[in-house]
Amino acid sequence: MTTSRPNPFRVPAGRSALSRRQLLIRAGALGAAGVSLPALLAACGSDSESGSSATTPGTAGGATPGTAAGGASSGLFFENWPSYIDPTEDGLTGTVDRFMEATGIDVRYTEAYNDNNEYFARIQPLLGRDEPIDPDIIAPTSWLANRLITLDWLEKLPIDQVPNAANLRADLQNPAWDPTGEYSLPWQTGFAGIAYNSDVTGREITSVDDLFDPEFAGKVGALTEMRDTIGVVAMSLGIDISTLSSFAEAQPAFDKLQEAKDSGQIRRFHGNDYFDDLSNGNLAITIGWSGDVAAIARDNPAVKFVFPESGATSWADTMVVPKGARNIEAAAQWMNFVYDPVQAAQITTWVGYVSPVAGVREEVEKLDPDLANDPLVFPDDAKLANTKGFAPLSEDVEAEFDAAFSAIIGA
Amino acid sequence: MTTAVEDVSTESNGVKRPELIGLGALVGAGALLVAVGTRLLTGPFAIIGLSLVFASILALVVVAVTGTPESRRKIAPYGLLKPGMLWLALFYLAPLFTLLRLSLSTLPSRFAVDAEFDWNFGNYAEAFTDFGPQFQRAFLYAGIATVLTIAIGYPLAYVIAFRGGKYRTLLLGLVVIPFFTSYLIRTIAWRSLLSDQGQFMSVINTLQLDWLLETLQIMDDGRLINTPAAVIFGLTYNFLPFMILPIYVSLEKIDVRLLDAAKDLYSTSTAAFAKVVVPLSIPGIFAGTLLTFIPAAGDFVNSLYLGSPNTTMIGNSIQDQFLVQNNVPLASAMSFVLMFIITVFVLIYSKFFGTEDLA
Repeated sequence: MTTSRPNPFRVPAGRSALSRRQLLIRAGALGAAGVSLPALLAACGSDSESGSSATTPGTAGGATPGTAAGGASSGLFFENWPSYIDPTEDGLTGTVDRFMEATGIDVRYTEAYNDNNEYFARIQPLLGRDEPIDPDIIAPTSWLANRLITLDWLEKLPIDQVPNAANLRADLQNPAWDPTGEYSLPWQTGFAGIAYNSDVTGREITSVDDLFDPEFAGKVGALTEMRDTIGVVAMSLGIDISTLSSFAEAQPAFDKLQEAKDSGQIRRFHGNDYFDDLSNGNLAITIGWSGDVAAIARDNPAVKFVFPESGATSWADTMVVPKGARNIEAAAQWMNFVYDPVQAAQITTWVGYVSPVAGVREEVEKLDPDLANDPLVFPDDAKLANTKGFAPLSEDVEAEFDAAFSAIIGA
Repeated sequence: MTTAVEDVSTESNGVKRPELIGLGALVGAGALLVAVGTRLLTGPFAIIGLSLVFASILALVVVAVTGTPESRRKIAPYGLLKPGMLWLALFYLAPLFTLLRLSLSTLPSRFAVDAEFDWNFGNYAEAFTDFGPQFQRAFLYAGIATVLTIAIGYPLAYVIAFRGGKYRTLLLGLVVIPFFTSYLIRTIAWRSLLSDQGQFMSVINTLQLDWLLETLQIMDDGRLINTPAAVIFGLTYNFLPFMILPIYVSLEKIDVRLLDAAKDLYSTSTAAFAKVVVPLSIPGIFAGTLLTFIPAAGDFVNSLYLGSPNTTMIGNSIQDQFLVQNNVPLASAMSFVLMFIITVFVLIYSKFFGTEDLA
């Protein structure tokens, strides 16, 4: 990535990547504890009905206080992950503002979605009692979207009002987490594979086995996201993660990880907060997310992301409408807007993840030719063929996976 | 109390034994608040209950205003206890009871909102069997950290109290000032200070002290961070002022003439310190230990940011069960086990070190 591309449409990649990265680091470090403390309190107080207003997402996250309080509101409320959309800055109009301009719909966009489990704990006391939550669209990762679908906590999307949904990438149609495709549209997608610092490893890494190389003892990391860590390890053991239906099938991956943890091979399990450790060499090699690593690599070329030979996991963060949302039609208009390749390209150039919208590459080509050739943002078919999504797990099986994983990561 | 009973016959205004009425109103109002707080009383019953609580407060005020001086005197202690008692009933006893009930409940399904109460002692069995190492680590780390805070805090408090002179306030302020910054921020900052490329490591590498620190098990695999020592260090650092301040208060109260007297009686400085200063400062050490050990045993922040997967403490596990596994009954049982063990520790400790002053 150079910073001097003659591109009138966006700020230089180096700058925007840096700002996104810094935001992610802060979100990862502080979000983990700072946000979960109030959430913990909210969970403790879930028995008290009067606590419901305090646990409402958005207000708890320190966003603008309840503009949508009571009654129908004409606006749209989208609660998304931090730094996951192009903002209005440096003379560029962000997607939210472009949407408001194009449709006249008032949008409240917050970034209080920091962690799937934590967010679930926040909405559970409300949606579990058939009470609506404030946001009209939330952004759970596909497995959580699947759980919400199973629990019947989501509204069906009025897909006839989203003609651009036809632009959904072919490989994401009727996905395993939403077999009928009625409840969710992906927001962004990406991969978990191996991230490493070649200055520390001293060699190119190609295989998951390198995570378990004694040479890197105490300098290995892994993600706290169970499906990505277990997924990558399981694939290296020849387990097909897209068809898992029982814990026994994935047992070898858990055993392998347990052994590495007990021997001190793994230094720590991390969420979004591994950039510094990887960049300064505390971690030599870890399981990481493609878009993040691409952002670090712009600052520190020694940091690299590889699709392991045995394959990478693919994930998707979705847009779903929680049950009882007030502005379903506005939500449909929003989805239609961001599924227009011209609009989606603006988001892609800023966030650097893989867009779920077909035809984005052509639009990105016009904005940022370098990015259009970035294999992490526009992977070729061979790479795509070597990625797998984690199978949707039934409630009981998922409980087994979660318990076993949490025993390993030491919680 | 005995004098109050003797006074009964001399009551003049017809109200017999007002102190019993005061006690009854206190306990009754507390019990009612607990019942409302735990939702044993709901709907109209809760409203009636709260009205009774309010009425008892009103009655106290009426007695205080209209009663004879004698009945006022007897009822006063109960009136003064009331705000604190009601506060504790609503914000301590009711949540504690709710937690106890939850810890004996079962979730009908994994993502159910409400657990069903069914005397499920299995949660306790699970808390003991599955989280033994985390409990052990929590008490081990908290114990070592507490000893370290005494070792570091006592001399510091001593110097400030006896040698601080006019700078006492300033020195105390310096102890406290770093803690104006958020607990989280300070802990996260230590992460970069202790990191492999951090200032501490570069000093250690320059002085080639790593073999020593490895032998002392402070370093592990050539690193300071993500080790048990880092977690204990974080706990020590974060709880140090809670040790220094109580010790300072107890030392500051000591009359220096006692030391002069000891010397007049041919005591050496060491003996005077051991026989005069230390015994008189024990209440401070005791209070500091409670303020340090109890929160440290339940802490999860230091282990989260400075530890590794092999240093997790019980606080991390409880947080994980509440927020990731959604297993509220198990998490409640774990919290109770933690509280129980801490209570036992504190009781044993106060048996040996507790003083009349503090009881």
